[in-house]
Amino acid sequence: MPNHLAKSVLLLAGLLLVSGSLWAHHGQGLSFDTNHMWTTWGTIEEFSYINPHPAVKFSRTDKDGNVEHWGAEVSNNPSRLARVGWTKSRCLAALMPGTRVKLYVGTSLAGGRIGIVELMESEKGELLCSEREAPIKAIDLDGVPGGYQPKPEDQKPE
Amino acid sequence: MTNNLARFALLAVPAFLLGQTSVPQKSEPSDKDTRPYDKHDFNGIWARNPSAQFHQPPCPECRDNSRPSYGFFGDIPPLTAEGKKRFDANRPTKGYVAGSKEALAHMDIDVGYRRAVQSALSNDPEERCEPLGLMRLVTFSGGNPPMQIVQTNEIIIQRFEWFWDNREIWTDGRSLPKVEDYLPRFNGYSVGKWEGDTLVVTTVGLDDRQWVDAYGYPVSDKAVLEERYSRPTRNRLRLEMTLTDPVNYTRPWHSTTKVWGYIPKEAASVAGWSGIVEDRCVPADNNYFRSFEPAAPTAKKDK
Repeated sequence: MPNHLAKSVLLLAGLLLVSGSLWAHHGQGLSFDTNHMWTTWGTIEEFSYINPHPAVKFSRTDKDGNVEHWGAEVSNNPSRLARVGWTKSRCLAALMPGTRVKLYVGTSLAGGRIGIVELMESEKGELLCSEREAPIKAIDLDGVPGGYQPKPEDQKPE
Repeated sequence: MTNNLARFALLAVPAFLLGQTSVPQKSEPSDKDTRPYDKHDFNGIWARNPSAQFHQPPCPECRDNSRPSYGFFGDIPPLTAEGKKRFDANRPTKGYVAGSKEALAHMDIDVGYRRAVQSALSNDPEERCEPLGLMRLVTFSGGNPPMQIVQTNEIIIQRFEWFWDNREIWTDGRSLPKVEDYLPRFNGYSVGKWEGDTLVVTTVGLDDRQWVDAYGYPVSDKAVLEERYSRPTRNRLRLEMTLTDPVNYTRPWHSTTKVWGYIPKEAASVAGWSGIVEDRCVPADNNYFRSFEPAAPTAKKDK
């Protein structure tokens, strides 16, 4: 476990140092394992309604009671969200810190606790701050430590 | 010299024909609106997918009739030696992933559309909020961020939602500047004149840091772009482009036809405010956002 933590810290440090790092506005499938979408319940720590895509920080608790902190980009673009009625104020109100939501996540292909959130769902089943009108296919990994972590073969182009 | 010309013709003609046959250039307009309109009036908001988000009648011919999407497309010319060097240096994120099954299944399309890399390995200017440049502004609207045209007797302004950028087309009769006397600009210097019902726009002075489109095709500051805009029906705007850039390409490059659908102002409305949306790339937001981007998979293996 400490090894895993060290790896995560190194990965995060690496991320912050990657000068050529880019947003995945159109290359999300290349950066995230969207072939293995999974769901988890989590708590919003911070939601930012920014361009080119919103970003969300959330925590989740695994079945052993350990709290994981995740960071993710959100797949929809603010202008598109606004056009379907998910304006900045509405999204921020729906995703205030402390809000419990079900998240549909694709983990970073590099692994760790970074991913893309395709969808967020309230406890009442409402889809939040999304263009989507129906949930997407994903496996339930609530409470599973680390959620889905890509395997080496997942990193190969399909 | 004659030999070179002959060799060029031998290479270029089949390539041109291949380009013409592989990408359909024309289709029947879907717009059935018969109300009168002015063919010389381009004012308004236009989108490449008017039915999505804007709830207008579908426009199948508006979509890029190919995968990947959002490109200049058309009959890609052979590159010059300099062009090849610059093309190879550009690493796009769009298109089929290099070496992927999809890329291998589409070996018939130009290599530019099947060499995508992960974001962390790319040097696409768009990903760092650097200016898109004229042709990318125009072709990216294939993704559906609309453009607005504001037209007066002496100037036409195109405003692009994505990157919140604009370009000017002077129609006051002025001549093009001498490129060497002016600073290159990302959106160049453009003049327009009417040929019948077609507005012919000529642009020079393009900044060579931009790409032709999302696929990393280079463009030089010696390039000349011709755009031919027309409004064949009330709700359709049509564009054909020709890029002549002897630094990078061995002959002129004709794009596929781009078609937009008209969006009534009221249909492009957010929270009661109609018009295009400021979809600006803000570096501070982008820096925060990209902290959520993964490093390249290969980087993980380097311990």
